[in-house]
Amino acid sequence: MFPDWMNSAPKPFDSVLVANRGEIAVRVLRAAKESGLRGIAVYSNPDKDSLHVEIADQSVHLPGDTLSETYLNMELIISAAKESGAQAIHPGYGFLSERADFARAVKEADLVWIGPSAEAIETMGDKISARRRMIESGVPIIPGEELAIEYGTNPLGVLASSAARVGYPLLVKASAGGGGKGMRAVHEPKMLRTEYEAAAREASAAFGDGTVYVERLLTGARHVEIQILCDQHGNSIHLNERDCSLQRRHQKVIEEAPSPAVTPEIRDAMGLAAIKAAEAVNYEGAGTVEFLLTSKGEFFFLEMNTRLQVEHPVTELITGIDLVQKLFEVAAGLSLGVSQQDIRITGHAIEARIYAEDVSKGFLPAIGKLAMWRPPSTPGVRMDSGFREGDDVTVDFDPMLAKLIVHAPTRSAALRRLDSALSEFIVLGVTTNVGFLREVSRSPAFSNGLVTTDFLDNISLDEFLEPQIDDSILISISAASNRLGVGRHSLNKNSDNLIDEYSGHSGDPFKILTRSFP
Amino acid sequence: MEWSIGNSGPRHQATFSDNDGKLKLSKLVSEGNEISFSEISVSKDEQSGRVLVELDGVTDFAHIIRSGDQWWIHFQGRIYVVNMHEPGSKDTSLSEGSLSAPMPGTILDVLVKTGQRVRQGQTLMIMEAMKMEHRIQAPKAGEVTAVHFQTGERVDMGENLVEIGE
Repeated sequence: MFPDWMNSAPKPFDSVLVANRGEIAVRVLRAAKESGLRGIAVYSNPDKDSLHVEIADQSVHLPGDTLSETYLNMELIISAAKESGAQAIHPGYGFLSERADFARAVKEADLVWIGPSAEAIETMGDKISARRRMIESGVPIIPGEELAIEYGTNPLGVLASSAARVGYPLLVKASAGGGGKGMRAVHEPKMLRTEYEAAAREASAAFGDGTVYVERLLTGARHVEIQILCDQHGNSIHLNERDCSLQRRHQKVIEEAPSPAVTPEIRDAMGLAAIKAAEAVNYEGAGTVEFLLTSKGEFFFLEMNTRLQVEHPVTELITGIDLVQKLFEVAAGLSLGVSQQDIRITGHAIEARIYAEDVSKGFLPAIGKLAMWRPPSTPGVRMDSGFREGDDVTVDFDPMLAKLIVHAPTRSAALRRLDSALSEFIVLGVTTNVGFLREVSRSPAFSNGLVTTDFLDNISLDEFLEPQIDDSILISISAASNRLGVGRHSLNKNSDNLIDEYSGHSGDPFKILTRSFP
Repeated sequence: MEWSIGNSGPRHQATFSDNDGKLKLSKLVSEGNEISFSEISVSKDEQSGRVLVELDGVTDFAHIIRSGDQWWIHFQGRIYVVNMHEPGSKDTSLSEGSLSAPMPGTILDVLVKTGQRVRQGQTLMIMEAMKMEHRIQAPKAGEVTAVHFQTGERVDMGENLVEIGE
């Protein structure tokens, strides 16, 4: 049974397998349910009780211990789709989302691929061919060059002469890198070797490819990206920009839309360049064209992400367009149904990425049980997460716990809403960056919209220390709670088997039910 | 019970007066000395995992939960952790000068040898955890007295990696 909205679709489908996990799997599976599609999850052993499995209509187990045996296993995922009767595959972000061979294999298996063509992924996924295509299409690019380093040879000679041509400061990037992995800044020649070796190691650990690219590092620039949306009938529109300048070691921390630095003129020019970039590869679906924007208002193509982005919700909030629903429609062969003139900007949206990490220990990933997890639920606040109270945060996967996204009429109202939502977010049992996010978003630089991509890397983190509270208060609350018998029982899957340490009873209904009785 | 905050904060003992389930802090002792404190009382709330805190005459909720020997508190928009200790127990934290693995992971590179002098902040080891590289840096200047792992070895969280003496 196809849902009604798919009646006139050339390539209708009634079900979608989400080849991912965590918050993005939850996001896509919920959208599928809302659109009347059957949602199918896949999961590896550590995920057997995860939220994305719980909310799916059906789920398929991926046996194996490593990511390459499970979420990165193309054959296994395609056979899971066949076995479950899925008619389409949505890759989410990360994992197989930017693997051209996967896109191809999905189509060859007679399944609908919810994403761009394998050729588009291939061209944009390789930084060299992407750059060449952008030059041909008249999209401005950053000075840089590729390094042909054979595996096992000493790269320093080639690297040093290329670095001298490109100029310092520069970035060494693995061609197959992304998300800050396999990418290192080099500020002076003597650091070239160390940073190159780190980049090469990270890239081969994360992506299985050691090719390196050298590029001028534009300091004091902003990271501004354009969301684009294209159908199979040649219609391409852009959904305005997102500003992701607040980064730490190239990992985005807070994203917002619209950008405080983008004028209507820059928006039009950048939007046009992004559409050119998308059209250069006959793009289909939702994609993101990333630019560096200098203080002079010039912008340069960074890369195109041929998938849904982590930060897509900010665009959804300011445009009112559900990108995942649009992806389903485009994949079914329907036309966009909106034109560039229909796209407006309503208010301001900000997303903060909540990570399990210890800021005071150099942002080290943290682990533990989410003993208490009470996200804020107030108007204008959206939270996308794959976690629930009682879930374990482990080293198996990425430490992102949630995305907290706020929407308000103005930027300053959105900042206030973000601060209040972060302060109401009760997450106990695992160390997170919530307090750091509050301090950063309240900093004069961020609240005045002046942050560039090097901001967090060039400032002492002492600037973002949380205000202290008298130790006697905290000790009193803990010691008194201990005496009052409060806080001993965490909600977990076996809570109904717990024996009350005072009464000796197990399964006390007043302990199991989460509502309180007046 | 004894209570401390942070990695090696002083131990405290708290005494309360109990007024019909409302516990009012009456004495706070830190390492044998009585210290001053804020006017504070704590009482149970209907909702589990929540207490009422009356601080200088103003009442607020605090959410609180115990996880092992740590008490996690959400109070006035901030999150805190308080450590609970058996009275008189020894600190379980590692001796100063030793560096423990912050996460389970793999050693990618060992940059120092036993006997080598290092300066504060110098990178001693590079380890990979959660697909990212982490640099293990010297917390102080000194001489490396022991290196416990080699490149390629897997380490568990809390394992001693390197020791630095004077």
